[in-house]
Amino acid sequence: MSGNLVVMAVALLVWGLLFWYLIRLERRVADLEKR
Amino acid sequence: MIGRALLLLWIAAWIVAAFVWAPLVPVLGETTRVLYFHIPAAWVTVLALGWSMIHSLLYLKRRNLEHDHQAAAAAEIGLMFCVVATVSGALWAKAMWGAYWNWDPRETSIFFLLLIYAAYLALRSAIDQPERRARLAAVYSAIAFVSVPFLIFVVPRIYFSLHPDPIINPRGKVDMDPRIRVVFFALLLGFTGLYFWVQSLRVRVARVEHRMEERRGSGNVG
Repeated sequence: MSGNLVVMAVALLVWGLLFWYLIRLERRVADLEKR
Repeated sequence: MIGRALLLLWIAAWIVAAFVWAPLVPVLGETTRVLYFHIPAAWVTVLALGWSMIHSLLYLKRRNLEHDHQAAAAAEIGLMFCVVATVSGALWAKAMWGAYWNWDPRETSIFFLLLIYAAYLALRSAIDQPERRARLAAVYSAIAFVSVPFLIFVVPRIYFSLHPDPIINPRGKVDMDPRIRVVFFALLLGFTGLYFWVQSLRVRVARVEHRMEERRGSGNVG
């Protein structure tokens, strides 16, 4: 696999993890707002 | 939720396009791709710090803590994106100039910007009383923003810099390959969407924190 594709995969992974973290955070904040 | 899913797919699709569809700039080579992340991060920095300044002024006018929450969140996120722009710029500098840091006018400017807004957060964390904290931070943020256009747009143009031309070059044109331009502006839009999402989340967290502070203050915790 070329270095380019590795960098692209890393960029997509980082974006996916950030998105997942933000979605989890949003759910947690929604829970706190209900209390 | 649909908006979030669209943002996920939008940014992911344009990341792929940046690597497999957009051509490379001959002078920049493989480092061309840094611009798709570095410049949007710098744009979000300016946008967020401007947002912080606007809400700081609104706080001083209306004394509504909601504006303080907005201003503080924007400054935090602006600083975070400023770090992203600095790190991505340093990686690019290593590849193109041979060193991560050269004290180029742009690097020096962004370093001062980081210091100024780190001091803003230090100021906020040093004051416990919410109204006093909001008032002093608002004055600081409104004054600090004066340095943003100066450090980002003026200083790098006054002194000789190795940094490539800005996107809108001194001749007032956007000199880019059409495919690079499409990917670049698509990611700029994606980063802007990401900023407003994170901003709204941070403000919601600040509201919850404020409510908890109030409960603690009135002895109603639990």
